[in-house]
Amino acid sequence: MNGSVAPARRVGEVVAELEISRAWLVDPAAGREGPGEIVVSNGVLEAVTWLEGAEAEGVGPDGIVVAPGFIDLHAHLREPGNEDAETIASGLAAAAHGGFTTVCLMPNTEPALDEPGVLARVRAAATASGSPVEALAHGAVTVGRAGEQLAALGELADAGIVGFSDDGACVASPTILRSALLYAGMLGRPVIDHAELAELTRGAEANEGYVATVLGLRGWPAAAEVAAVERDLAVLADVLRDEPRARLHLTHLSTAGALAAVRRAKAAGLPVTCDVTPHHVALSDEWLAGARRWAWEALDADGVARDPWVDGALAAGPYDTSLRVNPPLRGPEDAAACLAALAEGTADALATDHAPHTQVDKEVEFGLAANGISGLETALGVLLAAVEAGRLTLARAIAALTTGPAAVLGSWPGVVASGGEAGGGRAGGGRAGGIRALARPRGLVEGAPADLVVFDRSDRWLVGPGSLASKGRNTPLLGRELPGRILLTVAGGRIAWEDGGTGSDG
Amino acid sequence: MTLEIGPSGPPAASAPAAEAAIPVSAEAPAWRHRHLLDVDVLDRSEIELVMSTTDAMREVLARPIAKVPALRGRNVTILFYEASTRTRVSFEVAAKNLSADVVNIAAATSSVTKGESLVDTIRTVEALGAQMLVIRHAVSGAPYLAAAHFGGSVLNGGDGWHAHPTQALLDLYTMREHLPGGSVAGRKVVILGDILHSRVARSNIWSLTAAGADLWLCGPATLLRGFERWAAASPRIPGRGRFQVTSDLDAALAGADVVMALRIQRERMAGGLLPSLREYAARFGLTRERLAAAKPEVVVMHPGPMNEGVEIAPDVATDPRSVITNQVTNGVAVRMALLYLLAGVHGAGR
Repeated sequence: MNGSVAPARRVGEVVAELEISRAWLVDPAAGREGPGEIVVSNGVLEAVTWLEGAEAEGVGPDGIVVAPGFIDLHAHLREPGNEDAETIASGLAAAAHGGFTTVCLMPNTEPALDEPGVLARVRAAATASGSPVEALAHGAVTVGRAGEQLAALGELADAGIVGFSDDGACVASPTILRSALLYAGMLGRPVIDHAELAELTRGAEANEGYVATVLGLRGWPAAAEVAAVERDLAVLADVLRDEPRARLHLTHLSTAGALAAVRRAKAAGLPVTCDVTPHHVALSDEWLAGARRWAWEALDADGVARDPWVDGALAAGPYDTSLRVNPPLRGPEDAAACLAALAEGTADALATDHAPHTQVDKEVEFGLAANGISGLETALGVLLAAVEAGRLTLARAIAALTTGPAAVLGSWPGVVASGGEAGGGRAGGGRAGGIRALARPRGLVEGAPADLVVFDRSDRWLVGPGSLASKGRNTPLLGRELPGRILLTVAGGRIAWEDGGTGSDG
Repeated sequence: MTLEIGPSGPPAASAPAAEAAIPVSAEAPAWRHRHLLDVDVLDRSEIELVMSTTDAMREVLARPIAKVPALRGRNVTILFYEASTRTRVSFEVAAKNLSADVVNIAAATSSVTKGESLVDTIRTVEALGAQMLVIRHAVSGAPYLAAAHFGGSVLNGGDGWHAHPTQALLDLYTMREHLPGGSVAGRKVVILGDILHSRVARSNIWSLTAAGADLWLCGPATLLRGFERWAAASPRIPGRGRFQVTSDLDAALAGADVVMALRIQRERMAGGLLPSLREYAARFGLTRERLAAAKPEVVVMHPGPMNEGVEIAPDVATDPRSVITNQVTNGVAVRMALLYLLAGVHGAGR
């Protein structure tokens, strides 16, 4: 064994002493990975030692790995309003199990997080959970997410929300979008848009394509996402002239066309960022027909999508509702575009879009099933599968979970990624404009509170009802073994997750 | 292959012996499917088995008392979530002809209106004694969910846009009955109309490409969207063949051996897919003049119900070459055959 880990402790407990020797350290913030050792004492990362020469021998990236704690820009923890599906407590436990030490909560709760009172409830629940995972919140763009009237954006910013999103729905009105980008920009916050032209997706069940045609499912055209993205970028370009702090983040992009539009916009200097989900990177719509191979396995040598009926690749029954998600799983070529975007940086981050649902909401006819995949706990395993298949480097995978999302947060002038104070200047209305979003740096930094994930690449874990901490069992990976077992997650110097300890897997 | 399925008339007191004594031809393949949710799982030999079993059932239907005891004591529950008279009655008649006990549930009058889930309904129906379930549903894939939660056999009576296996099999049976040589292999078969929303079209693609027909799908571009991709892939799918997709009605009908018209629904205009029924009838309606491009002995079909004057002219529907009413009769026979096979009475069963 390459490293040693101290015996089981309680969640929330300060890490008194932890020493991991001869492990593979990955620190994207320092641009470095290799054999090393870490020592944590009283919650502080006291020493990070990189091994050289003879000492480094025999330590490879296929054993114990230590990385900074992950950041998720997009998760639905369902509280308040839908506690049957998930509570903030169970959601933060799931986050910790997945290696996340910071999670951004989406505001489509009931009531929606469109004013500070609801934010106070969310914060109270996070504190009461006892989890050391940092819970940040996004606020709604419009009142009730109804798309008609701007929500209390200034009050929400003062109360400390990180970004604004009507996620679940697109900001359909271009005039509302324009006002939101301007006003939020004044507050130093982004608009996070769920890009979907609703009229093109009315009643839609699955990606418009070959599989939907054969299965008789109502198609969800790629144009619904691409056109919404192009529209958002055009509005952003206009708004920047008046408010240079305007920021747009496009979340869960799933099509090659949308990613190409973002690439062009970034090249033209537009302040836009985007994320992709693990399921859009690793799965494809052929799973609806019953295929169960990774998206990169469903491409031929020329990068053209294979045909599951021709290949005889149907391993399971069709119409599995755990696959129903918005945006839908696309074809293998779009999935490859998402993975490539992550590898080369057009996609700034991997965000889970963790969307737990109850069995009642999923054990129904496919077209009636709720949209969403429970993904906090399987994100790392999915990326490690891509790394094992040679589709992604380990460094890039860890960066997509750490420095990528940290940089996205850092690109919002009113939000500070680590240390220092937020960008001041006119914040509109004479209130303090900035917040300190992340209390801790996102790297292996000596002297800082320990914020890290320890996982064993030589091990695998079985995704099952016994091993998932989330209430949401709605993952298509149920029953599947994923590479890499997370052994320990430390958030702000405290135990967030420990394998075999309290709240561990079966 | 001959199939002894018992004498007609009310079952005698010693009926159980009749069931056990069914002789099975040595070369006959066993039916190995517990459910029939779509024809895509049937290979050519299994389709042949359905065809020959249907022959036997046709013979039963021709008797003075068209009833045999093959499914005596079995409970067949028919659960239709979509309004339908012809198919629902066809299944009921088929089950009763086999002496099954039939329970017929129309969802509009059941607890489904109170919000009872499909899974709960299936469990309730099974607790009430259902051993075989015939289900029709408006949402594609629903029968697969039913099959996952039902202990007996599920027969798909039509799900959303996806599949209508009994229709495809009765269509194939009818074509073979009326084509010279009794086979569709190499014959030009045209399906005309709203392909996009049609479960009849999709299931027919699977069965006709397996049977070696020269299949053509024809309709306005808005109602053919997506099928070109499937047509390109089909020749490479094991056990299938090619098919054509075109909006050119004249090219499609030229030399056709079989023309099947599909119903056009009014909702397609509301959905912005068609300018009007008038324009559809003018450009794609199956009229006597258009039909002249096909072979003189062309077989005219329609799954019903028809919008006469829209997709099919009234004089074409009643033309001597129309086999639309045969389709209905064959539908009962095919459904008897499938209930019989699924019940495991033939060969090894499940």
